[in-house]
Amino acid sequence: MKPRLTLRWIVFAIAAFVMNFPVLATLVTAFKSSGEVSRNPSLWIEAPTLENFATVLTISDRLNVYHYLWNSLAAALIGSVLPMIVAFPMAWAMVRRGYGRAILFPLVVNLRALPLIIFAIPLYMMYATLGLLDTRLGLGLLLAIVNLPLALMLLVNAVAEIPVELEEAAHMDGARLPRLLFKVVLPLCRPALITTFVFGFITAWNEFLFGLMLTTREAVPMTVGASFFFATSGGGVQWGTASAVMVVAALPPLLLGLIMYRRITGSMVAGAVKG
Amino acid sequence: MAEIRIENLNKSFGAVSVIKDVSLTIPDGDFCVFVGPSGCGKSTLLRLIAGLESATSGRIVIDGRDVTALEPYDRHLSMVFQSYALYPHMTVKENIAFALRTAKTPEAAIAEKVAKAARILRLESYLDRKPGALSGGQRQRVAIGRAIVREPKAFLFDEPLSNLDAALRADTRVEIASLHKSLAATMIYVTHDQIEAMTLADRIVVLNEGQIMQVGTPRELYERPANVFVAQFLGSPKMNILPARAAEGMIVLPGSSSRLAAPAGWGGLVAAGLRAEDCTVTGPDNGVLSGIVVVSEYHGAAQQLLVDTDACGRISAFTTADRDLRVGDRVGLDFATEKLHPFDGGGVRLA
Repeated sequence: MKPRLTLRWIVFAIAAFVMNFPVLATLVTAFKSSGEVSRNPSLWIEAPTLENFATVLTISDRLNVYHYLWNSLAAALIGSVLPMIVAFPMAWAMVRRGYGRAILFPLVVNLRALPLIIFAIPLYMMYATLGLLDTRLGLGLLLAIVNLPLALMLLVNAVAEIPVELEEAAHMDGARLPRLLFKVVLPLCRPALITTFVFGFITAWNEFLFGLMLTTREAVPMTVGASFFFATSGGGVQWGTASAVMVVAALPPLLLGLIMYRRITGSMVAGAVKG
Repeated sequence: MAEIRIENLNKSFGAVSVIKDVSLTIPDGDFCVFVGPSGCGKSTLLRLIAGLESATSGRIVIDGRDVTALEPYDRHLSMVFQSYALYPHMTVKENIAFALRTAKTPEAAIAEKVAKAARILRLESYLDRKPGALSGGQRQRVAIGRAIVREPKAFLFDEPLSNLDAALRADTRVEIASLHKSLAATMIYVTHDQIEAMTLADRIVVLNEGQIMQVGTPRELYERPANVFVAQFLGSPKMNILPARAAEGMIVLPGSSSRLAAPAGWGGLVAAGLRAEDCTVTGPDNGVLSGIVVVSEYHGAAQQLLVDTDACGRISAFTTADRDLRVGDRVGLDFATEKLHPFDGGGVRLA
């Protein structure tokens, strides 16, 4: 290997190590016993143990990690799939018919620029009235709103990329709007839909603020539930258990991202029109 | 199969009028070609018939039914797009079957029709491929296959050959012509290529600036163009226009001492059209006109000259290649009166 190339890899390795240090520290701590955590701050584990994971995965009176995982899964699915269902026809209508292009689209997209906390109090009161507090549906609906702007943006771009002749050809082939949308436009938006789903799911899974605010017991998501493990049996923070629960909580979105990574890029319209 | 009738059709985009009061009847089974320069409205007229654009005023009648207000999917027409517009996520088979599935045709009938179309268009070995894995010519055939399986009332072609290379274009042109013969269907074909128009058409519609210039068979249009625009649009090189006048029963050409008798009805003569192939190149002292060769192109079978006659402008003429005339040579140009196309001051044909 040439020296320049070696040097480049060394720099990469240092940068990667520095940026991923918190992740590494958490991962390492999760495999240390509570005694070792207080004694040995290095990244080297003297006596690796699974006891922290055993603690996390055991159902106790107060803590049930499976319940939190299920709540997160349900809320994140609602929060990622619902925006796709709503945004897909909306994106088509905006691109092809111009509905809402001037006002609604910029407005929805700029929703992301607002700090969500300003909705907290009115939302809490609305949810209380509607009986949505501490329900998976209630949390999911809120997460859907959080994800809607991104879903709309991605799908508007995807629909705009489809050559309009394809839709004209479908009309000439006798297809009315529903068939056009579901047999031609929807399949061509697949990469954008997968991207929307993955990003939406990860955002929803990692959401903490509204999970904390809108749930108390029944619908507590993993992010909030994880914080319960920090101080298990009174006294100080149980760093080992806390690290293990963070690892468990981070796994589902991590796996989803890894599995879907190859599908979220790439274009569907190759070969549609000339070239 | 159906007759298509267009009555006083107008189309404006905002303040811009693209189609101006067009009326036209295309008989059942006709191969009709819309031809004209870019921006003449030929594609817009086709899209109006397809229903992809809505008319500002006027009527479109297909098979006796007023379809002006109908959406494209209710007009039962097939269209082949310039860009092919194949569904990229479907295989060739699914592309061809899409319209049949839309019409809820039984699967057995679909399989049979797709197989037949694939055989006609030699696509059998590509049926399970996606359009992205096909060449331009194969994509074009899939687009045609998609149009023919559904037995529409008429076929619309929007410059279908313009993305193919020259050799493939000639082959596909022949295929489309034989397809028309075997299907005996009404076809409307838009092109800017006059060779395609001349070779394919039963009837050519020449358009310019949103108006019909002339409708007729290729022979009628070439031999008796109704105006200077049509005369110069069809034919290569384009028709020479001489500043001729009629006086006392004679045709007067500037710079020429020859006297040609003017036929009856040529009184208002302002311009005389003359095709290059009707103009004989002679010795410098023999012709009706004389001039100096300014461009000489060797075509193999013939030689095309551009001769500067001074008073009558530059005139194109064909001669045999063995004469080997060069730039700067002085030549005479001869022609018969019956080969002249007489036009009045507005560019409209006389007699």
